[in-house]
Amino acid sequence: MIPIEYFLALSAILFSLGAYGALTRRNTIVVLMSIEIMLNAANINFVAFSSFFNDVRGQVFALFSIAIAAAEVAVGLAILLNLLKTRETIDLEDIHILRW
Amino acid sequence: MQSVDLAWLIPVLPLVAAVVIGLLGKKMKQGGGYIAIGASAVSFVLSLLIVVSVLDGSFDAADGIVDGVYEQSGTWISLTSTYKFEIGIYIDQLTALMLMVVSIVSTLVIIYSIAYMGDEGGRKRRYYTEISLFVGVMLGLVLANNYLEMFIFWELVGLCSYLLIGFWHHKPSAASAAKKAFIVTRVGDIMFMIGIIILFTTFKTLNFRDLFSMEVSGSDLGLLTLATFFIFGGAIGKSAQFPLHDWLPDAMEGPTTVSALIHAATMVKAGVYLVARSFPLFVQTPETLMVVAIIGGVTAFMAATMALNSPNIKRVLAYSTISQLGYMMLALGAGGYLFFSAMGSEGYTSSMFHLMNHAFFKALLFLCAGSVIHAVGTEDMRLMGGLGKTMKLTSFTMLIGALSISGIPPFSGFWSKDEVLAVVWNAGSLSWVFVLLYVLGIATAFMTAFYMFRLWFMTFKGEPGEASQHAHESPKIMTVPLVILSVFAAASFLVLFVGDGFGGTVFFEESHALQAGEMLMETFTDPLTYVSIIVAVSGLGLAYLVYYKKRISSDVFVSTQATRSLYSLLIKRYGFTAGYDAFAEKIVYGFSLIIDWIDQKVIDGIVNGISFVLATAGDYVRRIQTGHVQSYATFIIAGIAVILVLLYLLGGFR
Repeated sequence: MIPIEYFLALSAILFSLGAYGALTRRNTIVVLMSIEIMLNAANINFVAFSSFFNDVRGQVFALFSIAIAAAEVAVGLAILLNLLKTRETIDLEDIHILRW
Repeated sequence: MQSVDLAWLIPVLPLVAAVVIGLLGKKMKQGGGYIAIGASAVSFVLSLLIVVSVLDGSFDAADGIVDGVYEQSGTWISLTSTYKFEIGIYIDQLTALMLMVVSIVSTLVIIYSIAYMGDEGGRKRRYYTEISLFVGVMLGLVLANNYLEMFIFWELVGLCSYLLIGFWHHKPSAASAAKKAFIVTRVGDIMFMIGIIILFTTFKTLNFRDLFSMEVSGSDLGLLTLATFFIFGGAIGKSAQFPLHDWLPDAMEGPTTVSALIHAATMVKAGVYLVARSFPLFVQTPETLMVVAIIGGVTAFMAATMALNSPNIKRVLAYSTISQLGYMMLALGAGGYLFFSAMGSEGYTSSMFHLMNHAFFKALLFLCAGSVIHAVGTEDMRLMGGLGKTMKLTSFTMLIGALSISGIPPFSGFWSKDEVLAVVWNAGSLSWVFVLLYVLGIATAFMTAFYMFRLWFMTFKGEPGEASQHAHESPKIMTVPLVILSVFAAASFLVLFVGDGFGGTVFFEESHALQAGEMLMETFTDPLTYVSIIVAVSGLGLAYLVYYKKRISSDVFVSTQATRSLYSLLIKRYGFTAGYDAFAEKIVYGFSLIIDWIDQKVIDGIVNGISFVLATAGDYVRRIQTGHVQSYATFIIAGIAVILVLLYLLGGFR
């Protein structure tokens, strides 16, 4: 039986990597992928605690989370596609109209 | 079905007529004038039914009468279970009297208007709308069952007065007279409102029945004195009493029919009605009653002096109206003071009697003046003269009105004026002030007879003036109301001799029922009666000698330096007009300038300062917002990290 701390450490490392990627990369697709990594870090926690407490609800949540991540990627990619069409770039440095 | 159950229709019908005429009047005959006549005539019939039921005693026996008062009301605004405002009607003998007077005079005046305003063309629709609105709100004022409702109608009659004085608003004098009337009466209205607020905060109700049945004592009595004083302030404004009397002479810029209806017979009576309606409160506060009496007496005297030499026929009548209203106030003040000293309440009855008589004869006089103005096209009496030959009916009806107001027996004015003076004389035993006021009253009676007959002789007798060359009698639709009103003006005293008499019907607390014989005995055995007859006749005689026989030249009034300056003082209305203008220009305008400076520099300075600080701060802070999603996300994550660290350090995880 692998102790739960290992899972939590893995999850924390994955989350931090994802967060680093999401904050620093300029390519929007990479940012999207980093966000997926962060989501999966959370999923690992769900599954680990589910096994730790012997409670199946954690796994159910993990499945939910995966389904939502899929939907999110679909929407996110669609937005990116439109962005590419209208502004001909997906570089986050160039997309800064979200201000007054 | 009892007649009082239909009372709510009385104000509603003219109001509906006002709406109908206002919307559709253009397409109607006479701009909707016949609708206005119809509505006020139906109101008159309904009022008449109430008066009949009061007189035959069925009113006191009707359903819903408690303590001689018929009241219907509903809650309008309910603030809490104890604080609420009502809308309702309140009918007692006083209401019945006022309903009768208002509705009959309005009906006759609107009939008269058909001819008088016949040449106004498209403006007739506006005229009949406004006058119907006025009749409706005036009747509503009379019927109100609480001070708030009364105040609302009070303001509405003021609005109608403003609109109708300024009916010919293309004339600058009319427009400014309308503004003056509105603003000057507003001073009184604010006082009335203060009085209402004091009443409401002290007694938690504005309902007449609740207020009048309240036992007031201790510190509340002081507040009640203050409240009655301020309520009387409202009456001063509306009834054009000294020192707010100056708007009424200017109000004569409106059509003569408006002067007759609003500024003689009805609206200006609202102030007197207010004091009479609040009489149960006033009689508990002798200080206010003293003020009422003094203001009334001074007004009566002062206004009469100004009427002595005015060359304008309508202005003379306006001064005379102010003067007669002063009589009514004087009677209420003195009568209330007598009642406070447990010496009877005849003052109330005599004041209301004078109010009724005055409504009839003053409306008559104004309509006669209107008939004259219609014929000669000027209001200046110096250009008239000799009209008695061409306008026989008008001159005859005006003579009746003049005799009545002068107090020549047996015309109705004699009876009521005599009673008013008798009350003041009786009050003289309580305080020397009333003796002085009695002297003023007698002097006023003399002057009244003089200026009325000066007016009559100058207009109808003597050589034809330059304006009376082509004069002709007015059409029937104008003379018929004159004849009807002259019958009332001559004979309204007969109510003294019907049944219990006027005093047995309209009274406060104690009935003054007198049989006809007793009434006559009492009047004609009293030496005071002969005093008033003598002063009235001598005033008439002096006018006869000066303006008819010309035994005494009227130049005698301007022959010496002293009389000449007195003459010009009267023409200048004791300087009140100039005084008010100076007050407005210097003090009010100066004060406004100070306020303007404070507004511009201090208030705006604070506001501008705050906005400057915020705008500058914003200029710096907005640089944080770059529009880069990633920098926002960095802040979010950093923030969460800080929160987590703090939670850990502060022990939030344990």
